[in-house]
Amino acid sequence: MSKVLIKGNEAVVRGALLAGCKNFFGYPITPASEIAEAAAYYFPLLGGTFLQAESEIGAINMVYGAASSPFRCMTASSSPGISLKMEGISYIAGAELPCVIIDIMRGGPGLGNIAPEQADYNQIVKGGGHGNYRLITLAPNSAQEMCDLTMLAFELSDKYRNPAVVLADGIIGQMMEPVEFPEPVQVIPERPWALKGSADSHNLVCSIELEPDRLEEHNRKLQEKYAGISRQEIRCETIHCEDAEHIFIGYGVVSRILHSVVESLRAEGIKAGLLRPITLFPFPAPQIEHFAASKKLRSFFVCELSAGQMVDDVRLAVNGRKPVHLHTRMGGNVPSVKEIVETFKASL
Amino acid sequence: MNEAKKAADYRSELKPIWCPGCGDFGFLNAMYKALEELQLDPANTVVCSGIGCSSRISGYVKAYSFNGIHGRVLPFASGVKMSRPETTVIAVGGDGDGFSIGAGHIGHAARKNINITYVVLDNNIYGLTKGQASPTTPLGVRTKTTYYGNMGTTFNPVRMLIAYKASFVARTFSGDPKHIQKILVEAVRHPGFAFIEVLSPCVTFRGQDQYKILRERVRYLDESYNPENEVEAFDIANDENMLALGVIYKKIRPTYDEIIQQNVISKAKAASNGVAKIDKLLEQFQP
Repeated sequence: MSKVLIKGNEAVVRGALLAGCKNFFGYPITPASEIAEAAAYYFPLLGGTFLQAESEIGAINMVYGAASSPFRCMTASSSPGISLKMEGISYIAGAELPCVIIDIMRGGPGLGNIAPEQADYNQIVKGGGHGNYRLITLAPNSAQEMCDLTMLAFELSDKYRNPAVVLADGIIGQMMEPVEFPEPVQVIPERPWALKGSADSHNLVCSIELEPDRLEEHNRKLQEKYAGISRQEIRCETIHCEDAEHIFIGYGVVSRILHSVVESLRAEGIKAGLLRPITLFPFPAPQIEHFAASKKLRSFFVCELSAGQMVDDVRLAVNGRKPVHLHTRMGGNVPSVKEIVETFKASL
Repeated sequence: MNEAKKAADYRSELKPIWCPGCGDFGFLNAMYKALEELQLDPANTVVCSGIGCSSRISGYVKAYSFNGIHGRVLPFASGVKMSRPETTVIAVGGDGDGFSIGAGHIGHAARKNINITYVVLDNNIYGLTKGQASPTTPLGVRTKTTYYGNMGTTFNPVRMLIAYKASFVARTFSGDPKHIQKILVEAVRHPGFAFIEVLSPCVTFRGQDQYKILRERVRYLDESYNPENEVEAFDIANDENMLALGVIYKKIRPTYDEIIQQNVISKAKAASNGVAKIDKLLEQFQP
């Protein structure tokens, strides 16, 4: 298939369809609405369902219901809408059902604004809902990855029977770029537990365990699953890191700005590198630890469109071995290359 | 599968833990019998519920059962039905689950005419949390959260559902399981969103005399009643002194699924000369 100039948000929908997703439940919200709009056009044509729910709460509960069927399902929203979905997300994780949730992050807290931010890191990666659960979290930095990582989200969600989130800032959702679409997924994994007619079974989907020992056992089983995900599924991109004295860390649109920062510093003879987490859970802590242990490395420099949320995970991985500097922008502002270079030089 | 199923075949291994005398027993037994009459395949029957005493039913029926989130039974019943249209979906809940925390969902499932049956076991109280006021607790009644008497008037679920244009609205009573069975069978067979209010007394938190009080307050709609007359249906719903039992309102109209079939899929197939192909379709969308 040739390249198509397309918005990140639409690339998500095409990726979902190529991954065999059948059911979409959504609710309009800027800057994520194009996902629901494209889904409303495509899903029924391919024999699937698009349903505009009465609320974000309605949409996530429709996903909860549809996730127990043999077919892939999804929803999409932006930060305040994702907050509303949190109760449902906790239940889906507790019941171990697969589904994909797209979060196109906007400015907060509260109504905030519709400009890009990355301030949902904590509510998605750390768990905004109640209980000990984790969400597989993928962070695209291009329209191409909006498609590719949506497809990967479906794959990982099925593999681990766990909700997977594509966490993108508003710029990545709204930006148009050429995208090359891969071939459709041919085989979708069997779901032997799903609602499809198992003659004499009494299948009960729930997240309740009244007996403390059994609930603890369920929690331990979930933690083992998350540990397995952490061992198996880390993805990150490194550029110029092997000889780097300073490593810049950022995800989403920030990683693209940091790439320019690194190239401009290299042109000045400063040995800079870029580490871009593609998975936020699992977080590329082992990769960061590796560089933190390096004698060459002098400092890490984190940049986020938030007050600094991912930086906590970087600091845990670095564990005091090297200084970790932080540059933040909020409210929909995006840092320039010049601004980051200046802050970096001031930190030396 | 070929052998005829009996009511007992729809019993799950879980034993109900409702209080002795709970109205929900009457409904559950009638539900087993209705499932027998309908000869539904348990593997393709979905019983959904939220949270509350009556929401425990999903655990007591041998089917594909779904015990979800408080107030959200209709969204996930809709999700199941959209994903597996060939299944029979029965959503069950209480008055707190349905008319308080979940009230916002009812109108939308009704107006979209999603082909599911929604049963509310209305006991006028929060039972599972041990006796607080619900949206159908009568005015002035003292509960654990209305020490000075309930200060709000009660919801009238039947009137609300007719106003929402639900395509099937009925009321029945736990004291008459045969009537429940008849209404439930008709509701499941109804093509579209079917709502049943079951007057289901909570003897623990509303008093042992609830059956007696209700028996004196109910009347049966007679055979000559035509449920397709919306104005007459409202008149019946408005009578809150004598509660009419039976199918109060019914109007056949296309379900959400049927509309998708008519408006979208047939056209897509015609346009693509057969089954719609993903790569061809992906070229078409112009926002």
